[in-house]
Amino acid sequence: MIVKDVVCPFCGCLCDDIEVEVEENRVVAVANACELGTKKLMGEKRMKNPILRDGGTWKDITYDEAIQYTADMLLSAERPLLYGWSGTHGEAQCVGVHMAELVRGVIDNTSSVCHGPSILAIQEVGHPGCTLGVVKNRADLVIYWGANPIDAHPRHLSRYTRYAEGFFLENAFRDRKVIVVDVRRTETANIADEFVQIKPGGDYAVLSALRAIVRGKTEMIPRTVAGVTREQLVRVVDLCKGAKFGAVYFGLGLTMTGGKYKNIRNAIELVSELSRHTKFTISAMRGHYNVYGSNEVNTWMTGYPFGIDFSRGIAFYNPGETTAVDILARKECDAALIVGSDPAAHFPRRCLEHLADIPVVQLDPYPNATTAFCNVQIPVAVTGIDAVGTAYRMDGVPIRTRRVLSTGYPSDEEVLIRMYALMQGAKA
Amino acid sequence: MRVTLAMRPAARSFIPIEAEAIVPKNFLSGTDLSVWRGNRELRLDEVFSVFVEGSADRPEDVEVVISGDGTSRLKRVGEYMDGGKITVLGDIGMHCGNFMTGGTIEIHGNADGWLGREMAGGTILCRGDAADYCASGYRGGRKGMTGGTVEVFGRAGDFLAESIAGGTVIVHGDAGDMAGAEMHGGTLVVHADCSRPAANMKGGSCYVYGTAHGMLPTFKRIGTVQHEGRMLIHFIGDIANRGKGNLFVKDYRYLD
Repeated sequence: MIVKDVVCPFCGCLCDDIEVEVEENRVVAVANACELGTKKLMGEKRMKNPILRDGGTWKDITYDEAIQYTADMLLSAERPLLYGWSGTHGEAQCVGVHMAELVRGVIDNTSSVCHGPSILAIQEVGHPGCTLGVVKNRADLVIYWGANPIDAHPRHLSRYTRYAEGFFLENAFRDRKVIVVDVRRTETANIADEFVQIKPGGDYAVLSALRAIVRGKTEMIPRTVAGVTREQLVRVVDLCKGAKFGAVYFGLGLTMTGGKYKNIRNAIELVSELSRHTKFTISAMRGHYNVYGSNEVNTWMTGYPFGIDFSRGIAFYNPGETTAVDILARKECDAALIVGSDPAAHFPRRCLEHLADIPVVQLDPYPNATTAFCNVQIPVAVTGIDAVGTAYRMDGVPIRTRRVLSTGYPSDEEVLIRMYALMQGAKA
Repeated sequence: MRVTLAMRPAARSFIPIEAEAIVPKNFLSGTDLSVWRGNRELRLDEVFSVFVEGSADRPEDVEVVISGDGTSRLKRVGEYMDGGKITVLGDIGMHCGNFMTGGTIEIHGNADGWLGREMAGGTILCRGDAADYCASGYRGGRKGMTGGTVEVFGRAGDFLAESIAGGTVIVHGDAGDMAGAEMHGGTLVVHADCSRPAANMKGGSCYVYGTAHGMLPTFKRIGTVQHEGRMLIHFIGDIANRGKGNLFVKDYRYLD
């Protein structure tokens, strides 16, 4: 059986034109998806049932026992951390926020280690952004800054930018210019019309210099700025000012280098400056397929996009204090629930040392690096493969994922609802 | 009146304690106050041994002395303080002296992040180092500190005096990255080195008596000035932001 219009639950592009061939309740072939998406849709060896750490070994337990364990752990904690959420659907994220409020814990999602700085900058100066469709059909200049879509978002170029047809562009491939800014010559840099190579840590200075040049203050800029010649900066500004519609896409090369959110703020202010001359927009290359959704869900439910501390009964937000890495590194939580993420594969060692000291429950279909730190792991259905739910694309467009298999695993939402009901009962 | 709060050795020592109740004014009506450890409300005397000497009718006559192991876990001490004195005989946790309008806080050790955030008046003296966001603003806020004085005798972390709009911040040691970012008023003085000072500044004055590393290319060099016995180079900026702030540095290096 071939299932059409499947939504790929891998990256923030959330491609919705995938075809999946299913035989005997197994995915046997995937068409249209990139290598990353194909690998995810083809699946790996999943965990069969919930497991509980029992001394040096694992013991199989039932879903009821695992859910009861988690509810008890969260209820008895003084400052539980509920982290992850980007690898699950919006409906499950909603239950997560309710749970965090009920147990007065801290809820944080993976944006605190990816595009959190982008959100901090947007909170300072706003977000002049647009949907991917607008860029595809109108943009005649695309800038990738600190992002390498060929490796990380492979179909971004073919669906929306370099290789995409544009409704308002006669010959999109010829008319659309691409500028890549990075600290090294990436695969994406090789297909750019202009490659700007910056010394590591020099993004902020280059952005400031570009803003000054857009304002006509070229003469005051030093001959080179962070390894980029003044001539090239002027050429970039000329390309930008000459474009009818420019779009900037930035990645973790900008959010996670020195200065962090101030880099993004500077990039947004450059876009605002350019919008005095032509039409310009800027957007983040979001990573997980539903990391944008976790920001949306948190924001509409609590007022804040990530790093929300409910310990005093009201929502308090202060990235750097109420975000997962900071809390774990300072040993400021006493239990953790991990959903749809793998912190042990990404967090600093100091955080993992604390994770090893406290009770941890993880909801994840596969054994991963965090499994080694868990007291209990509960396997769940994979959103977009054997569970349905809403995810938000990197440009904020909600797309409902489809189910291609029926496996009998409960979804994140089902497991979390049962935990929440137990905790409500205990609180009442 | 002198209130001494000696921290008791707590069993679960890693959970921070939010103690915004520790403000001199509150002790005029007794010591029946609460603090929070995570999601648990605790009486002040469960966390501290409380001693009160003398009496007072106004906050200016109250001195609170905090001591003991683990004072670095105390957050929000002196929040909204409007008079009197708080002395910390050790380190203090995040958000000490937030929104303060008057009085004095003296910290004998180091201060954690957001010391004196959005402060409007009064004085904070930190004898040790201050962590990131000392005398800064809040996330997404336009104005940080608007008045008062913060003096740090050690070093300061990144984003020192971010979004400062008034008041004075003095750091005797080095400051970190982005000191005085988004500054639009007030005065920031760094006695030693820092990196990328006054990024995106709109107004105000920033002095660096050491070297400005990674100096931003969008500050316009005006000339040299004599300042308190030092020869400093005067810049106007941030030109990228149509800024008219003054940046004075003894020495600078571009990332070229």
